[in-house]
This record gives sequence, C-alpha cells and structure tokens, in this order.
Amino acid sequence: MEIAYYPGCSLQQSSALYDVQSRRIFEELGVRLMEIEDWSCCGATSAGKVDDFLAVALPARNIGIAEDAGFTEMVIPCSACYSRTLVAQQRMADDTRLKEDINEEIGKKVRGNLKISSILESLLPIVTAKDFKPKVKRQFRELKPVCYYGCMLTRFPYTVPVPDRVENPRGMEQVLDALGIKALDWNYKTYCCGASAAVNDNQTSLSLMSRIMKDAVARGANCFVVTCPMCQMNMDAHQNAFCEKNDIEARLPVYFITELLGAAMGIAPEELQLDRHFIDGAQLLKESEKDERKEK
Amino acid sequence: MTAPVHEYIPETTKPFLQEVMERSGQMLTACYQCRRCAAGCTVGDETGCFTPNLLIRTVVLGDRETALNNELVWKCVSCYTCGVRCPNDIQTARITETLKKMAKERHAQPLQPKVAHFHDAFVESSIRWGRVNEMEFMGFYELKNALQEAKVNNYEAIVDELKEQAKLGLAMFKLGRMHFGFQMAKGRKEVKALYKKAKRKRAASSDANA
Ligand code: SF4
Ligand code: SF4
Repeated sequence: MEIAYYPGCSLQQSSALYDVQSRRIFEELGVRLMEIEDWSCCGATSAGKVDDFLAVALPARNIGIAEDAGFTEMVIPCSACYSRTLVAQQRMADDTRLKEDINEEIGKKVRGNLKISSILESLLPIVTAKDFKPKVKRQFRELKPVCYYGCMLTRFPYTVPVPDRVENPRGMEQVLDALGIKALDWNYKTYCCGASAAVNDNQTSLSLMSRIMKDAVARGANCFVVTCPMCQMNMDAHQNAFCEKNDIEARLPVYFITELLGAAMGIAPEELQLDRHFIDGAQLLKESEKDERKEK
Repeated sequence: MTAPVHEYIPETTKPFLQEVMERSGQMLTACYQCRRCAAGCTVGDETGCFTPNLLIRTVVLGDRETALNNELVWKCVSCYTCGVRCPNDIQTARITETLKKMAKERHAQPLQPKVAHFHDAFVESSIRWGRVNEMEFMGFYELKNALQEAKVNNYEAIVDELKEQAKLGLAMFKLGRMHFGFQMAKGRKEVKALYKKAKRKRAASSDANA
C-alpha cells in the first residue's frame, strides 16, 4: 500500500529523526510513504497570526499537489502541520470562493477529496489488526510512559471532524497497548507546552512545561510519549532548565511514538537515531527490557 | 455628576467590535461571562486578572487601546483550550490572533515584541524559500530583536539573548539536530503569488474599513 506523506520543515531539520523513524516503521508495517513532490511550508502556527488568507493558502498548495498525484490519503506526522492542513481543507470546503481564489494562483488545484490523517489515524487500523502481533519482537514491560498529546492533535481553531476525544484522547495509549506497554493515566495529556513561546517568551513556556513534568513525575512515569515535534523538542531540550528552576530531580526521556513502535518491532536504536535526544532515551529502553529477562 | 467610565461612542465602539467579530469569525456578543474560559486558560497564572472573558468584554465595550495591548493578547499560546470549553463556541485564540494583526497594522508597539518578531520572521522565511530554514529564520528573528533593543541602546539584552540561543544551538549541534543543508521548494513562485494576493486582500479590506 502507498499513501502520500507530508514531512514538513521541522522533520527535514531539527526533528529529522522523526522523519527517519516514520518512513522506517511504515515500511516495516507494509505501507510506503510517498513524499509529495516539491511541497512547501504549511505556515505552521505563525501564518494565522500574520495573515488569515495565507494560513489557508499555504497548506492548500500541498493538498493540491497530493490530489493531483492521485492520492486519496495523506499522512502528516507533525501535529502542527496536520492541524493547519486539516483546517485549511475544511475552510475551503465551507467557502468555495476562498478555494477558487487560492486555486487561481497554484498549478495543481485543490479539489477536496483527500483524507488528511494524523500519524495515529494511519497507525491505529494497522497495529490493532490481528496480523500485527507477530511483528512485536521486543517487550518493554518496565516502561511507564505518560502519553502527551499537547494542543494540536485534538483542539482546532475551526470546526473540523476530530478523530479522537478532545480532552481525553486515547490514540497513543491504544498504539502502546498493541505493543504490550501500559501507559499511565494522568492530568496533563492535552496541556500546552508553550510551543513557540519556548523561543519568544521563554519564562512562560518553562513554567507551563514544569507543570506537565510535575504531574508526570507524581504519577510515577519514567518517560513521555509524543507525536508532535514541537512538544518533543520543547520537553526534551528545555527539560534541564525547567527542572532546575523548579527543583525537580527526575529527568524523563521524551520518545516519539514511532521510536517505541520501531524498537518494539526490533529495529536497531541506531537506525531509529535514538542517540539524538537531549535526555538520553537509549538506556531506559535497554533497562526496561533487561528487567524482564531477569524475571524469566 | 461623575463621567461614566465607559462612554458609548457609536463612531468608534461599534466598528471596533464589528471588525474584531468579522476578522476573527467569532460571535463575541454571545459571551455571557460564565468564565469557563478563564478557569482553563493555560497562561492564567502568567496573565493575572486579564482572562479571556475580560478580553471579550473589553472588545464589546469598544476599548480599543486596552484590547490591543494587554498581557493576554501577547501571551496567549493559541492552545484553543478556552474555545473547546466555551458553551458558546467562542475561540478566544482567534480573537487574540486578530488583535495581534490589528496592533501590527496600527504600528503599535507590541507588549511582547519578540512574539511578533518570531511570527513575522517565520512567515518571511517560508515565503522566501517556500520552506522554513530553521537557522536562517532564527537568525532573522534575533536580528529583529537586536534592532529593537539597539534602538533603546540595550546592548546587554542583545548579548544575553544571543548567549542563550548559542547555548541551545551548540547542544543541538552536538546531537546532530542542527541541519546545514538548505531547504527550498521549486514552486516558491506560487508561494510568493499567494503571499502577494494576501497582501492585496489586506490592502483592500483596510481601505474598506477606513
Ligand atoms: S467560556 Fe465563552 S461564554 Fe463563558 S465567559 Fe468565556 S467566552 Fe464567555
Ligand atoms: S487559547 Fe489563549 S486564551 Fe485560550 S486558553 Fe489557550 S492561552 Fe488561554
């Protein structure tokens, strides 16, 4: 099976590991991710703060490219790109004049029949199918993750069909369930890390992240699992800073869902670029497996 | 008799409310001040008493100055929590985003200039190349910050800011999370055309509002 794939800017740069992991695990699952040709930036969360037309027009160009190539589904692992693209599609569906206005400027026109999927929407039917079980080669029973969804996966600035529960999503827990990993219940699933505020309003962002961390630690978690490269970068790169500032001793690795999925399917840590974390994630994975061997 | 704190001036009160409603697509007059938004606001601790419901009230009362320049407009992280909880479906983030744009159009000095610089630098980078190059974009962002600080001779702030960014940059570099290849889309002509159209539309609507 082949589906269209939109990596977006951050997966080509600071979060390139997420791109590598996504391609690799989908391949392992028998799906080929076809990167759409000559895609452009979706405008992320910034375009909407600078110009409304642009916020729809930028993702629209990519939708047009995918539709023109004949795809019916496009997966977007980055939560921000996913949100912007889904909202743009809905806004054009609700406002044909806006759609025509945009189509006038782009070569590959938007028609409006592309299914835009988050990474969880694409993964869930595959990992919950019966034939997935044999693919799980390693068990990380000692892993106690909290699933951190952040803002962009379930809350949108515009009415769109939301594929999960808005305030208590379950998608990541379901994927982990399929791997035999039990995620912990907690309160900060959909809390905001501050996103770009980590750069432009650092103190606010550090304070938001410290609250997320405190609840995770209080619940006894030993790692975070995320789908959003912005959440991953923030919670990982700034963890020492917000922990030191708030007297938190623990340090928790922040895994992409693709990392745990890949490792469980037996893909080598180097191939998954597990060494690119600020807070080391390789050691914990090893330990959570070792403990289990001892049990046997 | 004392003068009323809020005076109804039809020429200014009404158009301001109308413009915010139109551009944000939010029905501000539906707000009945239940404060569900305030209870869940992510930056509640950071913005003090200036809660989403208060921002809405400020706009409804036509207080343009306060509405364009308060902690919430510039600290709102667009997390959309208030919006999904509002019984009247009011997305305050779309209001803060609108007010940011309106502040810029009036060339008002934003309360948090770095927030404005960030989003401007990001969009400029994405239009220039069709894709955002993180290092180039961060460079322009810091340049905007530095120019602003230089205007008031605050060179210490420039040095502190650059030191912080360099620290993070170095850590990213060591982990292989810095990317040196240059990203661009061949179709950036189309992206530029969309940008020009956006500009034309903005000019047309500000003429209509004038
Ligand atoms: S939740 Fe909605 S109706 Fe209630 S105060 Fe906030 S904006 Fe107004
Ligand atoms: S969108 Fe803005 S105003 Fe609403 S809860 Fe989030 S930070 Fe507060």
